[in-house]
Amino acid sequence: MGPTDEELVAAFQDGDASAFDELVRRWDRKIHGAIYRVVGSDEDTRDLCQEAFLKAYRGLGTFKREARFSSWLYQIAINVCRDRLRRRRGRIAVSLDDVEETRDGGLRTAAPSPLELVEARDLRHLVEEAMATLSAEEREVVILKEYQELTFPEIAETLEVPLSTVKTRLYRGLAQLRHRLERQGVRGVAPLPAPIP
Amino acid sequence: MGCEEFRDRMLDVLYGEADTASARAWEVHEQECAACRDEVRALRRLRRDLGAWTVAARAGTAGGGAAARHARAWLPLAAGVVMGLAATFVVAGSQQRVDSLAAALRAQDERHRAEIEALKATIGQDRPGGGAILEDVRRLIRESEARQAVVLDASLRGLAERSDAQRRDDMAQVSAGLSYLEGRTGLQVARTTELMGHVLQASQKK
Repeated sequence: MGPTDEELVAAFQDGDASAFDELVRRWDRKIHGAIYRVVGSDEDTRDLCQEAFLKAYRGLGTFKREARFSSWLYQIAINVCRDRLRRRRGRIAVSLDDVEETRDGGLRTAAPSPLELVEARDLRHLVEEAMATLSAEEREVVILKEYQELTFPEIAETLEVPLSTVKTRLYRGLAQLRHRLERQGVRGVAPLPAPIP
Repeated sequence: MGCEEFRDRMLDVLYGEADTASARAWEVHEQECAACRDEVRALRRLRRDLGAWTVAARAGTAGGGAAARHARAWLPLAAGVVMGLAATFVVAGSQQRVDSLAAALRAQDERHRAEIEALKATIGQDRPGGGAILEDVRRLIRESEARQAVVLDASLRGLAERSDAQRRDDMAQVSAGLSYLEGRTGLQVARTTELMGHVLQASQKK
């Protein structure tokens, strides 16, 4: 078992610059996924991912180890997304035409049938559209909970809001998603994701 | 306690974060309340649907993305052709040809699966570890540090120049001040000498 994030942070703060490389390797995919889901564009995601890690590099020397590194990193990622969306002031635009991953970032293990591919693509599109109708605050919470699989306290720490606010935003977000998807005839049709080896 | 008060517990249960007491309380409520029971079932279904929103590969893995797109484009087509051919031969009733075709199809299917696995492996090699992003971040850091070094150098040069100018200005002021003091002192001496002369003359006249 390798060093924990906190140990890598400590190593970096003690002058071991390679510890940061390991943190990037460890978190790149998850941060990429979170940013993509918040901003909904490949091009923006790449820029923002770089920006987030650059900010992390700049701030890591003075990072207080009272908070979890992951929460701190997600906080940076969410903030760069907010800045970008604020500047863009546009709707979320999502490309559907790319490689598939499961919600935790792993690749699917079983080759889907043609019908499954078509259905999954349609459903994915519907889910993306539904997510784009949420407020930014609700979307952030749903993404951090549903796709990044943070715990409620971790989300509260990341977004710097009370636990009750996290749950309220999540509940509202889920209720809206449910309402919208059910109106479009989607009622739990997605197969369970394949296990990751 | 009404359903509203159970909402947080329901979310805790839904995401597996409820402690034993909360989980038990929710269980009791769920048995009594059909609306909440339906709601939590609907939310479980919703969570499955949300899993369909998969993440696109980043631009840095364009090769893998293009390959995967290509794979996705021909996979349904190939599968359709395969199924169509198989159906045709079954209807024709030629068992031997069907067996032979089935073997060919199995081989083709295995080949396709192997190609897909190879593609996944390629994509998997490109993506994890963030080779591209790591390089980009390193480059950005290097560029940023180089920019900062230039700015720092320029700032230090400016600071030195300003400090030198300030020093020269201070020296000039001190010099002017000394000259002024010297002038004042000389004047005072002259006046004192003149006064003493007057006093001397006055005392001699007496």
